[in-house]
Amino acid sequence: MTTNTAIHVEHISKSFGSFRAVDDLTFDVYQGEIFAMLGPNGAGKSTTMRMILDILKPDTGRIAVLGAPLTEATKDRIGYLPEERGLYRNVRVQEMMVYLGTLKGLSTADATRRSLDLLERLGMLEQAKKKVSELSKGMQQKIQFAVTVLHDPDLIIIDEPFSGLDPVNSLVLKDLLLSFKARGGTIVMSTHQMSQVEEMCDRLLMISKGKQKLYGSVTDIRQQYALHAIIVEGQGDWSKLPGVARIESISNGRNADLLHLQPDVTPDKVLAAIAASQEMRIERFELAVPSLNDIFIRVEGGQP
Amino acid sequence: MNKIGLVARREYLFNLRRPSFLFAVFGVPLFTFAVWFVVFAVISSTEEDISRVGQVGIVDHAGIVEEMILPDQSPDLFTSYPDETSARAALDSQTIGAYFVLPQNYLRTGTVESYSYSNIPAALRNQFTSLLLMNLGMRVDQPTSVERIQNPIELTIHLNDSGRDLTESNLPALFFIPLIFSLLFMMSTGVTSGFLMSGVVEERSNRVMEILITSITPTQLLLGKIIGLGSLGLTQLLVWGVAGGLLIRFGQTIPFLQGVTFPLDMVLIFIVYFLLSYFLIASLMAGLGAISGSDHESRQYSSILSLLFVVPFFFITSFITDPNGTLPLLLTLIPFTSPVAVLLRIGFGVVPAWQLIASLVILFISTLLVVWASARVFRWALLLYGKRISLREIWRVIRGVPSVEPSVAIPTENQS
Repeated sequence: MTTNTAIHVEHISKSFGSFRAVDDLTFDVYQGEIFAMLGPNGAGKSTTMRMILDILKPDTGRIAVLGAPLTEATKDRIGYLPEERGLYRNVRVQEMMVYLGTLKGLSTADATRRSLDLLERLGMLEQAKKKVSELSKGMQQKIQFAVTVLHDPDLIIIDEPFSGLDPVNSLVLKDLLLSFKARGGTIVMSTHQMSQVEEMCDRLLMISKGKQKLYGSVTDIRQQYALHAIIVEGQGDWSKLPGVARIESISNGRNADLLHLQPDVTPDKVLAAIAASQEMRIERFELAVPSLNDIFIRVEGGQP
Repeated sequence: MNKIGLVARREYLFNLRRPSFLFAVFGVPLFTFAVWFVVFAVISSTEEDISRVGQVGIVDHAGIVEEMILPDQSPDLFTSYPDETSARAALDSQTIGAYFVLPQNYLRTGTVESYSYSNIPAALRNQFTSLLLMNLGMRVDQPTSVERIQNPIELTIHLNDSGRDLTESNLPALFFIPLIFSLLFMMSTGVTSGFLMSGVVEERSNRVMEILITSITPTQLLLGKIIGLGSLGLTQLLVWGVAGGLLIRFGQTIPFLQGVTFPLDMVLIFIVYFLLSYFLIASLMAGLGAISGSDHESRQYSSILSLLFVVPFFFITSFITDPNGTLPLLLTLIPFTSPVAVLLRIGFGVVPAWQLIASLVILFISTLLVVWASARVFRWALLLYGKRISLREIWRVIRGVPSVEPSVAIPTENQS
């Protein structure tokens, strides 16, 4: 555990009755990064988050948050967005934000100022005096996020922040998350949207049935699952290329071919061969690095 | 701690603005005043109307009105009868509508009895009083007469056929004050602890609870809620107290309210019992709110709880006939029934000091126990979503050895 570790989790397990929700997880979240927690439904993501937040106690193992086991003072430096959105229904937006902000240690004046500031950035200043129940679902989710970062925490833990958001609001939220990170904040988020992870996250932990499946930087993991293959589009008979072991047709909308290479052949050799050939015209050439989505499905499907 | 204060303040201000609270605080007294006003209007008109009684007889064993000097306003109202048999016969034949009996010892005791079909109007009582005064005035040389002039009548009213005797001076105090105090008690504890419970249920169902307990500890949350809503209950009592005080102050012209006071000892005892039992019921409600699956279910719990407080009313006849009997004593000692039982007994008699102390000590200890146990259940069950918990499990939680983690029932992991 180094000084720039925001969260240190060591061999935690948690069972509910006979159901083992979290099974011997160990991982670190570094300060200033966006850390993704992935996994199918019921994998134990929310339970792990709740243990980090000390809502639940692990049966075994040890957790340190911002350098020490969670204390009341540390709670003021953390923001939490539960998966089941927690908002009062019959309370005015600003009033609720100020209340939850003061519970995190802000003064009433600061909480008011920051609430209005955030509402303005979210384009929701007009809604400040409205009751939460009068807001649309997307608006409520933005308010939720605003509550999470209201007290300017060092670390936010957000459970499925993008679920149910339309593309426009997803973009707004993404910008907010990136600007939170730019100011040095640490983000732990669980999500189903792999594209978001690829675009935003630095490192990830994938769990299934409570066990760790993947853990590391997003780039490393994609490299690790990269095939010794290239994807090409264009005209020509690819089978005439030297070093191609097998051709697989992948057609999602456009026709492309996946060329599996022989072990000793590198992609640039193939590219050179295509360039040298008069019969082949190339429109697309890329390394077959799988999307996280593919990796997710492969790992979940039981393949290595 | 500061955060307890924040929760208390929020709970106070939020619930203060609830329509149901505003109705309970202002609507109930206004409604009561309105009803009383109508009732008094009816009563006072009947109180003024002497003619409905007709002729009135007097049986004088004390020799006060032998040479009857009749009041000027109603020279023909009173008729003298030599004995009660003839007066009774006249009443039965409805020649007269009522008769008064002055016993031989009247001069010493002031005791007067009246027999009538219905309660005699205040106006008639005044007429009779002035008749007595005029006749007593002829004998100011006797010291007992002077005393009687100062306080001419201690009337016992016998209602024909009902067999119930009422003494004038103790009637309102006897019946209404303990009743009013008990009602106030039940309403204020019921309203505020009900708010507490539904607040907890709401925060659990909308998951604000998860944000709350990652900001403060469950104990801070529980205490903040209890203090905030307790202050709300006191506010409610204050409003009612002021309203009641005004009513008594400006309502002295209404015969019914004459002489009604709220004795200070009763007010003090009321406040002590209110605070203790409020803590008892509020923490119990918070614990129940934390384990109950729905608003509907929690309402059932709260109505059962409020029923416990009303139990003494079921045995109100025991309290009237024998306020120091076994049953009233028992109800004085049981924590839930003690507030109302004590208030009733103080109204109808005197509660021995040791019983009062024992009752308070028992209430205090059980309140501490319940607050402690509820805090444990509360902390444990905050994240319990939609799952029924057995009494055995609750008992395990209180002892600190739960067999199930509450979040086993969290649906988010398995269903979303």
